[in-house]
Amino acid sequence: MKRFAIRMLWSIGLVLAVIFLNFSLIHLAPGDPATVIAGESGAGDPAVIEQIRADYGLDRSFVAQLASYVVRVAQGDLGDSFFFNQSVVSLIWARLWPTILLVATALIFAIVVGVLVGIFTARRPESRLSHSATILALAGYSMPVFWTGLMLVILFASVFKVLPISGMRDVQFDGGMLASWVDVGEHLILPAFTLGFLFLAQYSRLARASMLEVLQSDFVRTARSKGLSERVVVYKHALRNAVIPVVTVAGLQFGTMLSGAILVETVFNWPGLGRLAFDAVLRRDAPVLLGVLLVSTLLVIVVNLLTDVVYRLIDPRIRVGGAAT
Amino acid sequence: MVPEIETEASSPILEVRNLTVTFGSFTAVDGISFSLHEGQTLAVVGESGSGKSVTALSIMRLVELGTRGRIESGEILFRGANGEVTDLVQESEDAMRQVRGNQISMIFQEPLTSLNPVYTVGDQVAEAVMLHQRLGRREAKGRALEMMRQVRIPDPDQRMGQYPHEMSGGMRQRVMIAMALSCDPRVLIADEPTTALDVTIQAQILGLMRDLQRTRSAAVMIITHDMGVVAEVADQVVVMNQGQVVEAGSVFDIFEDPKEPYTRALLAAVPRLGSMAGRSDPAPFDLVAP
Amino acid sequence: MFFRNKAAVAGLFLLLGVILMTFLGPYFYDEDPKDIVARPLKGPGTEDVPGLGTDYLGRDVLAGVVNGGLTSLRVAAIAAALIVMIGVTIGAVSGFYGGVIDNALMRFTEVFQVLPALLFAMVVVALFGPSPWKVSIAIGLVLWPQLARLTRAEFLRLKNMEFVKAAQAIGSSDLRIIMRVILPNALPPLIVATTLVMGGAILLEAGLAFLGLGDANEVSWGLMIGQNRTNFITSWWTVTFPGLAIFVTVLSFSLIGDGLQDAFNPKLRGR
Repeated sequence: MKRFAIRMLWSIGLVLAVIFLNFSLIHLAPGDPATVIAGESGAGDPAVIEQIRADYGLDRSFVAQLASYVVRVAQGDLGDSFFFNQSVVSLIWARLWPTILLVATALIFAIVVGVLVGIFTARRPESRLSHSATILALAGYSMPVFWTGLMLVILFASVFKVLPISGMRDVQFDGGMLASWVDVGEHLILPAFTLGFLFLAQYSRLARASMLEVLQSDFVRTARSKGLSERVVVYKHALRNAVIPVVTVAGLQFGTMLSGAILVETVFNWPGLGRLAFDAVLRRDAPVLLGVLLVSTLLVIVVNLLTDVVYRLIDPRIRVGGAAT
Repeated sequence: MVPEIETEASSPILEVRNLTVTFGSFTAVDGISFSLHEGQTLAVVGESGSGKSVTALSIMRLVELGTRGRIESGEILFRGANGEVTDLVQESEDAMRQVRGNQISMIFQEPLTSLNPVYTVGDQVAEAVMLHQRLGRREAKGRALEMMRQVRIPDPDQRMGQYPHEMSGGMRQRVMIAMALSCDPRVLIADEPTTALDVTIQAQILGLMRDLQRTRSAAVMIITHDMGVVAEVADQVVVMNQGQVVEAGSVFDIFEDPKEPYTRALLAAVPRLGSMAGRSDPAPFDLVAP
Repeated sequence: MFFRNKAAVAGLFLLLGVILMTFLGPYFYDEDPKDIVARPLKGPGTEDVPGLGTDYLGRDVLAGVVNGGLTSLRVAAIAAALIVMIGVTIGAVSGFYGGVIDNALMRFTEVFQVLPALLFAMVVVALFGPSPWKVSIAIGLVLWPQLARLTRAEFLRLKNMEFVKAAQAIGSSDLRIIMRVILPNALPPLIVATTLVMGGAILLEAGLAFLGLGDANEVSWGLMIGQNRTNFITSWWTVTFPGLAIFVTVLSFSLIGDGLQDAFNPKLRGR
């Protein structure tokens, strides 16, 4: 319990560090901070610049500005976007859930299928299917994720016209609640697969290596010596030990997944944070960009904490924090 | 030239005949034969690499799973509970699974790594019982508790819910024994059961095994490189070197009158009590016992 | 050992191929990728159209592929150099000295680790401008933590070994021990990690270029894909070939890295 509290404290410290980083970036960037904050849209208008200067207190000392900035963020004020004419927080809030949906689906897909493939290739390392799986895996994480997405779009737009290739919902949608969920689901398939495929490759290799190692361990030999069927040995005894590294890595890679999501959302027009970031970049809209950076980092920190919890649930050795002799 | 043990009146519960096991081009076990009787403890002695562990794994037909081992030839005759004798080498994998953990059990050298770290000790002991005796969860757990008591684990109720890493080495080995004996096997194979333990714990574990054997009239095959252990628990001894049986006989015969030079060399590695008597300075031991 | 791994050797050849194409290609196929050579969006095999077709402006796709590698490789190489310099230094100091220094440096590393890579690079480039140097720096800033962690782990493992104590016993300075005693022994996993980092840097650069954050004056594969996004469904050649180039390049690094890892660590091959 105490350790968890310490980690929470440290996580808050991390968030503060990122806020500080954001703040520094605004001031380190070339040009007047007020222009930076105004972005392309606001910079032309002197009234807007004056307003920003007043709001952010840009004439005060560095420390005073930093303090007021931190206070603003803590109160949930991430500034305003002049292009979208909305507060950054409201913009982010609207796009947050589509991104979480996308990333969560991709993650579950990548872990489940990755582990299954890993188990299969570990048990039958010489089969042709295993070799193909290994090669496919290697290819998977060498492909630029946006290219994979584009290839899939071409495939499903011109050849197999069965799945929607853009957006999260049908533009002319007109059904009830359940149908709406199905609609979103249909739109989710390609983007989630694209994002998941990248990591699937990695997790299957990791699961394979881990499973191979676990299958050589003594307790697997013991399980076999008790007369348990090979199926029970693999899925009950070996699996739980073998997934530990996969779960750990998956958790640690959440940040990379968010990065991938930016590209996937852009390709598939998925209305999430990634798309928002892309739009903001085009307009040099600093408050939105920095807001997205902060929120994404927050997500990463939360997921890291969650991974720790899950890890402890799976592996009892970590729970008590030490072995007896 | 394979020496034969004098057979006793009752027929053996386990008889190995001309067993040969290879790993690719390497012959680990080269045409060995020996037999094991009910109520008897047979010690298989030799250095590392002599093929003793491979022999044990071959009896369980575990040597082919997960490694490149192959039983090339020979028979492993096992007399089951119904009196019928089957050749384990010819049995199907399904049939072997009925035998493993049930009629023939095995315990291994390293209790920490031989137990699954993510499941409780109680679960692991109960598992074999649930499988072979088709007991429900609660009854199996009850039986597991009973076994833990029999192997003299203090506070067995509490210990059932513990994980392997929370126990000491000696305790873990007791758990392994409980697990192995839970289905009342006719043969227990112990592969270096005390090698990883402290000497004092060693004595406890060996004593425990002897007591348990007496109450069940099971046959025990203990594999070891330690002649001291042999002296303490064995009735019959088989000496192995480089995959072959060098000498075999009762424990008294082997210790009093070792015939082969290799056997004598093994015995000489154990210092005789009193051999340094009367000396004030240390002296090297004789390489071969007089 | 490395050369017995067929995939790894294939990777080596692929990389050589890419490098040859990047540096010698433009001499043999000297079309300027920025020239408009034919009507836009004509596929490969059409009359009057060069090898792989034309893009949305009518420029030669093949020329783009042949020339685009230079930017990507250059940016990735500089980024990788930065990553190695920063990462190894921080990791070595952290692992060697331990204690408060280790703690502080690891906390610092963690700040950069929680920032999503592409996003942070986007922010830096958006605020500071997209010149190739800035892109390299941005990528470097984002990917160094992995190398730092790895170096630190290796140093922690090695610093208690006999040969290090021996060096200390004869009075070698800390710097000497770090650079000449421990580091050479830590090289195998670091080399593997560096090859993989190169692949990652190329992907990151391509991603940035795709999003329009690369250097707009130079041709690069990512940029080609990004610019041709509007019509790519019907003009598949405009995005397929540049993407293929990126894929092959990164794949070659992955294969080589894999082969090296196998060579250094045969246990993982599994039987």
